[in-house]
Amino acid sequence: MEWKRFGFIAFIIVALFSIVVLIGQARDPIPTIIISMAATTISVATPLTLGALSGVFSERAGVVNIGIEGMMLTSAFFGWFGAIYFNTILKFEAMPSLILGVVIAVLAGALMGLLHAALSITFKVDQVIGGTVINILAIGITGFFNRQLFFEKNSIFGGNVPHAPGTLPSVGQVPFLANVPILSNLQPIAILAIVLVFISTFVLFRTRWGLRTRAVGEHPRAADTVGINVSFMRYVNVIISGCLAGLAGAYFTLESVPSFEPLMTNGRGFISLAAMIFGNWTPLGAWAASLVFGAAQALQINLQFYRELIPPSLSLLQYPYIVGLTPYILTMLILTGIIGRTVSPAADGQPYEK
Amino acid sequence: MAEKEKTSSSQPRISGWLRSGLNTMLVPALAVLTAMIVGGIVIALAGGNPFAAYAGLIEGSFGSLNAISETTVWATPYIFAGLAVAFGFKGGLFNIGAEGQLAFGAVMAALVGYGLPLMGVDLPAVVFVPLTVVAGIIAGGIWAAIPGWLKAKFGGHEVINTIMMNYIALNITSYLLNGPMKDNNPLNVVARTPLIAESARISTVFPDYRFHWGFILALLVAVLIWFILWKTTLGFEIRTVGTNPDAARYAGVNVSNIIIITMVISGALAGMAGSIEVTALNYRHELGFAVGYGFDAIAIALLGKNHPAGVVLASLLFGAMRNGATRMQFNTQIPVDIISIIQALILLFVAADAIVRYIYHIRIQQDRLVLTRGWGG
Amino acid sequence: MSKKLSLLLAIVLIASAVLSACTPTDSKPDCSKPEVFCVGLVTDVGKIDDKSFNQSTWEGVKQAEKDLGAKVQYIETTDSKDYAKNIATFADAKYDVVVTVGFALGEATVAAAKKYPDVKFIGVDQTQSETIPNLAGLIFPEDQAGFLVGALAAQMTKTGKVGAVLGTDAVPAVWRFGEGFRAGAMYIKPDIEINVVYHNDVGFDKTFSDPEWGKTTAIAMIDKQVDIIFGAGGKTGNGALLGAAEKGVYAIGVDTDQYYTVPEAQKVLLSSAMKQLTPGTFDLIKLAKEGKFPGGNFTGKCGYAPYHDLDSKVPAEVKTKMEELQKGLIDGSLQTNVAPVKP
Repeated sequence: MEWKRFGFIAFIIVALFSIVVLIGQARDPIPTIIISMAATTISVATPLTLGALSGVFSERAGVVNIGIEGMMLTSAFFGWFGAIYFNTILKFEAMPSLILGVVIAVLAGALMGLLHAALSITFKVDQVIGGTVINILAIGITGFFNRQLFFEKNSIFGGNVPHAPGTLPSVGQVPFLANVPILSNLQPIAILAIVLVFISTFVLFRTRWGLRTRAVGEHPRAADTVGINVSFMRYVNVIISGCLAGLAGAYFTLESVPSFEPLMTNGRGFISLAAMIFGNWTPLGAWAASLVFGAAQALQINLQFYRELIPPSLSLLQYPYIVGLTPYILTMLILTGIIGRTVSPAADGQPYEK
Repeated sequence: MAEKEKTSSSQPRISGWLRSGLNTMLVPALAVLTAMIVGGIVIALAGGNPFAAYAGLIEGSFGSLNAISETTVWATPYIFAGLAVAFGFKGGLFNIGAEGQLAFGAVMAALVGYGLPLMGVDLPAVVFVPLTVVAGIIAGGIWAAIPGWLKAKFGGHEVINTIMMNYIALNITSYLLNGPMKDNNPLNVVARTPLIAESARISTVFPDYRFHWGFILALLVAVLIWFILWKTTLGFEIRTVGTNPDAARYAGVNVSNIIIITMVISGALAGMAGSIEVTALNYRHELGFAVGYGFDAIAIALLGKNHPAGVVLASLLFGAMRNGATRMQFNTQIPVDIISIIQALILLFVAADAIVRYIYHIRIQQDRLVLTRGWGG
Repeated sequence: MSKKLSLLLAIVLIASAVLSACTPTDSKPDCSKPEVFCVGLVTDVGKIDDKSFNQSTWEGVKQAEKDLGAKVQYIETTDSKDYAKNIATFADAKYDVVVTVGFALGEATVAAAKKYPDVKFIGVDQTQSETIPNLAGLIFPEDQAGFLVGALAAQMTKTGKVGAVLGTDAVPAVWRFGEGFRAGAMYIKPDIEINVVYHNDVGFDKTFSDPEWGKTTAIAMIDKQVDIIFGAGGKTGNGALLGAAEKGVYAIGVDTDQYYTVPEAQKVLLSSAMKQLTPGTFDLIKLAKEGKFPGGNFTGKCGYAPYHDLDSKVPAEVKTKMEELQKGLIDGSLQTNVAPVKP
């Protein structure tokens, strides 16, 4: 069952790569194209992987989380603000500032996770509505404080955007890794994301904690009767979910580019949610699905790159809008079970009442 | 689900009706008040003057005849989109895709409005205006029918599918407005359609004000939705499926059909929001004009307790805030993002009404809304 | 309603009264008085702090505050249906000059100029088809700036491959930068390989604020031996410059001298295709104050920025050629042959 899914996902990725190789080989050598596609795929997939893992933890414990987008945006802003604050006001060096920025981003995510947990577990608010609250709140808070802190004359930075302390360095700076293709360009959060995929798999399927988490997501009443504290398990897992979304947010402003933009997460939180479903609520599946979305984005960029080489019979591929539809349509087909059936945790979305 | 009986059921009819109406409005009103207070504290902490800000907000939204007219202009799409989300909620469906349905409805209304004259079809306004509006209604309906059908037939959850449909609508409208449907006027540089024909436009009510008949139409549609939901068999079936699909199935209701019908009507309302914006206000569709209506509509539906009258009131409030934000910024230079914060707080306090009831010591229990029972699949 | 509630309300009221007492109450200037010179700015659906378009224009308005003693104010548009209302907010308050930013406000600005003949309007990036005495369209020959940096790129590339990462081509200024770049590169080396990628796959509100996409796209190009990246399109373009900096290939910025706005890219920044929004806006406001306001189209200056850190890497003959080209473009002996908008 799972092998079939991974086979299918691998097939899609190979297909997406092949399209670019077939069109682009007239201009560039094939290995160059593949390495470039792979690099784009991995970097696009990083925030998606973390976002999807965030969804896995929350939903495996029975709490639907559509607030990932808002959590990412909030963390991206506060992580960035934190790094600049330590660097500019408290005169820390660049590297410690960046690391503290990541810590603040994760904490901001945890705080948003706590809000979502309080709403959906304590107040038993419908979980999709709780997520919507987080999404709207994130847009307002980040937009408002971005203006107040960085633009207005009486702000702590005096109305001038201070220089950011840069971004987290790539692995290539470690001497013996400098010449390995693809790997040498990876940055800490990208690597951490992959490591977390395996840690999450282990935690969810090989530990007591994971067993309990899945129990409260599948049969909360049964879990309760054997003495598992359902509310506690759900709270902690939703906060973990917030931390992971926070790390994804840190990727945007501390690893990818040293700046914050209003709405810069650009819907990637929702795509993460789709990746989680695509991957059938497992960390490995979510990672694979994130790579599919990464490959689809790489396809889109590269087809524009080779626009002149696209044969007239495939002229539809010249329109990035049309190519851009692929991941969304795939998600709908997967979700509805037209291709590969998915099974969500049985108690996902339901508040638990004793 | 432990759902308490409404306390008002034993009261004499008229006063009981009034009392339950007031009770229903009490918590939303206090939620708005609380959100404004917290928003005021945020403004003050950021160094602004909350009193000046709110004074600007009120001046901008109700301070003159023109301000009131502009508030109705803002409220019109909110009413339609809010009704769309509320209608879905009544049938137990979470239509988070009003944004995409609205955009698709607007594109199709614009296509009919400028396209037919190009094809040499010359229609009188009596026919052309309804035709243009209906084009948007149908487009929105179709856009929502797809996730509705996927839910009824395969159990795919409408939240994910309507989000995906939003992105698909965004990509398709971008393609159309930059390509085949782009305004070819050599001076035009914007991704937008040509203007629709004069005879396809809904007029304003008074000269010199943008207050248009579309707002009146929105009020009539709100009454119609109330009628459908509470006075027809279909409405009864929709509400039954919404509260208890198993009981509905047992009672012989075709649940799959009701799910599809609910989504279609919900999408049609969102599509109508788009077609009225095109026919009564902008006279064309322009890329990116509908950013954020989908989320706002969810907040409006919840604030209005999913009742058409409540949706109208909530839409006027949200319209007033969005409209008054300009004057607030002009007077105080406080960023307009504060409106998003206040709206999120309103949604928070309405959804988690236990917080509001705790602060103000209100004991009345109300029905809780539970919509999301997993993603299906 | 209990003690707790009244206590809460009391605390809130006192807190906000105290806090608001601390903040200076802004006394609004009376713009109807002839001696008070007021300038208002209306953004398109972007933000005032976008570090590009809107902000550069706002800098020009702020310069008028400093140098001309003007009272300045801005309003940010959140929805295109508010354009007319936001312009009217300034005009009704008897502002002397109203600046509207972006092609999207063009029609609303023309309508307002006819309705308020006593107010001077400056429409940034709005080409005028008729001359209205109180409306000046501030436009720029972006294709010339693009042409110049394209020519520079073609002279400096070692691999014969150059790339441009841009916002959406539906915005004519971006189109002219991109196609000007192409034309300039081809003018120097007809067989050069040029990669131009537009960020057309997202909405208008996002195409200029997606630095992560810009960086990813630039790196994808560099992986294919492109060795000069032209980044043009707000933050999206800035992301491309950062990608070039990370990979150590030459980068070319846009709009302003990005040596100062993207310090992370200083060591690789060859030049920038400049569009002088801030001085252009300020000049027009100054003319309005002096009563010499020109109706119709007002062409601002374009050009290329200094080489800064890379000055020693640019051969003398390239520098001479660049000066020659710029002269040719200004006196009209050289044409870019770029259409004003995407056909």
